[in-house]
Amino acid sequence: MTRQKRSHHKLKRAVAPYLYLSPSLVIISLLMLLPMVTVIGYSFQNSAVLRRDPSFAGLKHYQAIFNDPVFWASLWHTLYFTCMSVIFHMTIGMIFALMLNSDRINPMLRNILRVLYILPWLFTAVIIAVIWRLLLEPNGVVNSMLLQLGIIGSKVEWFSSPETALHAVTFANIWAGYPLFMVSLLAGLQGIPKDFYEAADIDGAKAYQKLIFITIPQLMPIIISISLLDFIWTMQVFPLIWITTGGGPIYSTEVLSTYTYKLAFSSYNLSQASASAVVILLISLGLTLFYIRYQKAR
Amino acid sequence: MAEVVLENICKTYGNNFHAIDQLNLSVEDGEFLILVGPSGCGKSTALRMIAGLEDITSGSLRIGGTDVVDMPPKDRDIAMVFQSYALYPHMTVFENIAFSMRLAGKPKAERKKRVDEIAKTLQLTSLLDSKPANLSGGQRQRVAMGRAMVREPAAFLMDEPLSNLDAKLRVQMRAEITRLQKQLGVTTIYVTHDQTEAMTMGDRVAVLKGGVLQQVDTPKRLYESPVNAFVAGFIGSPSMNLFEATMTGGELMSGAFAIRLQDAAFARRPGLKSYAGRKIVFGIRPEDLYDSSLESGRKYQTIPAKVTSIEELGSEHIVHLNIDAIRVDSGDPDAVQDFGLTSNAVARFEPDSTVRSGSEIRLALDDTKLHFFDPETHLAI
Repeated sequence: MTRQKRSHHKLKRAVAPYLYLSPSLVIISLLMLLPMVTVIGYSFQNSAVLRRDPSFAGLKHYQAIFNDPVFWASLWHTLYFTCMSVIFHMTIGMIFALMLNSDRINPMLRNILRVLYILPWLFTAVIIAVIWRLLLEPNGVVNSMLLQLGIIGSKVEWFSSPETALHAVTFANIWAGYPLFMVSLLAGLQGIPKDFYEAADIDGAKAYQKLIFITIPQLMPIIISISLLDFIWTMQVFPLIWITTGGGPIYSTEVLSTYTYKLAFSSYNLSQASASAVVILLISLGLTLFYIRYQKAR
Repeated sequence: MAEVVLENICKTYGNNFHAIDQLNLSVEDGEFLILVGPSGCGKSTALRMIAGLEDITSGSLRIGGTDVVDMPPKDRDIAMVFQSYALYPHMTVFENIAFSMRLAGKPKAERKKRVDEIAKTLQLTSLLDSKPANLSGGQRQRVAMGRAMVREPAAFLMDEPLSNLDAKLRVQMRAEITRLQKQLGVTTIYVTHDQTEAMTMGDRVAVLKGGVLQQVDTPKRLYESPVNAFVAGFIGSPSMNLFEATMTGGELMSGAFAIRLQDAAFARRPGLKSYAGRKIVFGIRPEDLYDSSLESGRKYQTIPAKVTSIEELGSEHIVHLNIDAIRVDSGDPDAVQDFGLTSNAVARFEPDSTVRSGSEIRLALDDTKLHFFDPETHLAI
């Protein structure tokens, strides 16, 4: 082989991987990177989008949202909504996964439960929102059941009362999201060697000790990975809250996503909305970096 | 330390499959008993029933004089070493060994003292802070042993603990486990499918087939006096050669050859005479067959054979042969590997044998070492 041919072959080999990557890189750049950069740009402009020659605003819009008490309320609601969702997704997912993995439950019943437990995953956010609005409306099934059982004295307006609205949307989101944990943990449980439990039986471990010393440590990589992903996704939940409460009443269910949406499409303050979106992006980015570092560490 | 007694133990699964049928076995205090048999013979099931990991369908099981049939595993005072070692990957060697003490709520100082003692015995002291993933196969095996030893049980149960190790390490660990067992003097029941392990490690060996105990005896007696063709074929490597023949006037007639039997053979086995004129199964071990051209083989009678292949192992030659006789299946699925498709006999020749593959030879056999079995029942005569 001549020297020229050899160098040509070398170049082809070096370029090939990038050629394979290029279609996805182009699509991601156009659909994700470009809008992201544009939004960051808008957050530093006055009257972004609305004017053809917007002026540079510096950090004015960031100052404005940080001085807005509704922003801080939204941030708090977002954190509450996200943390409670992730904790309960994990707890319920774990309980159901343990049930479905248990030899003590009849295999037929286990198959039925498996289908039942996974049902919430089949619905889109809009359907879930509509279902829970119907169930939790003052004359809905939940109120009449709770009244019958004597748990509440009068009808509760779950989504319309500032005291209960945030808990109600969080509850609906928990219901909608636990199957991801359940399925992931069930796969993890099925991968734990039976020998571990048998060795523990011989060593005299009780059921809770097997859970603490074997099951949870063995599932820990899955628990951490899925929790981080769930945290990132739940922080950005929009349709469920928008359709059930629209962020109200009196901002009691306002989260960062609805706050940003309202700034953009109700107040047409696209610059401030962009600043708010950048804040969400930074929080998500922080979590994502943490997730990537964790994955790399493993 | 304790005696382990199994009486009429049966294990039947839901689909009416009898994994263990009427197993009677008595393991003496401090004895090293090996449960051996081919895959699916029920040896691991028997061990798991002793451990309490499988229910006993019927029968009685006593450990140290106490009936333990209805007792959970933790109350049976046993420790088990698993084939996979079952070491917890998220725990260090120390935590793995100390796990049962931690569960029992033993103080930290006591745990440390005991684990240090065991680590010293097993040469694991420098590895106590390591995780199992960073250990070699042999080290993991020793940690599994340590976890069993820490409980100071009445009996050790070991389920093929060496099967995940490479051949060289297996030989080393075989000696190690035997030494430890003698040193500790704990009653041990050891399951294996490897008859070399069975023969070299145990005080006694129990051979199982299809859930039925075939014979329990010392390795030497199992080898020299197998009770049936299965045990004869299973014990020994390569397997015993088993052939069909007809007993005619003090000779074994088979195809184109006859083997003269000495009067001593009939004197040792009075039942042999009743097979005169009838079919019989005879067996001869590969080491009792000789190359007639060598000094060692000259004194024996010979039969014609064709060499099909030779495995030169340095210290000996494993010679695969074809003789004019119908080979009898002992019922050991692994024996097929010893014979292959083109040969029906296997012999162990001295390394200076010059036989070549494809050649016709005279095969010498030591007729005093012949074994005889009934062709119907396969029981030893």
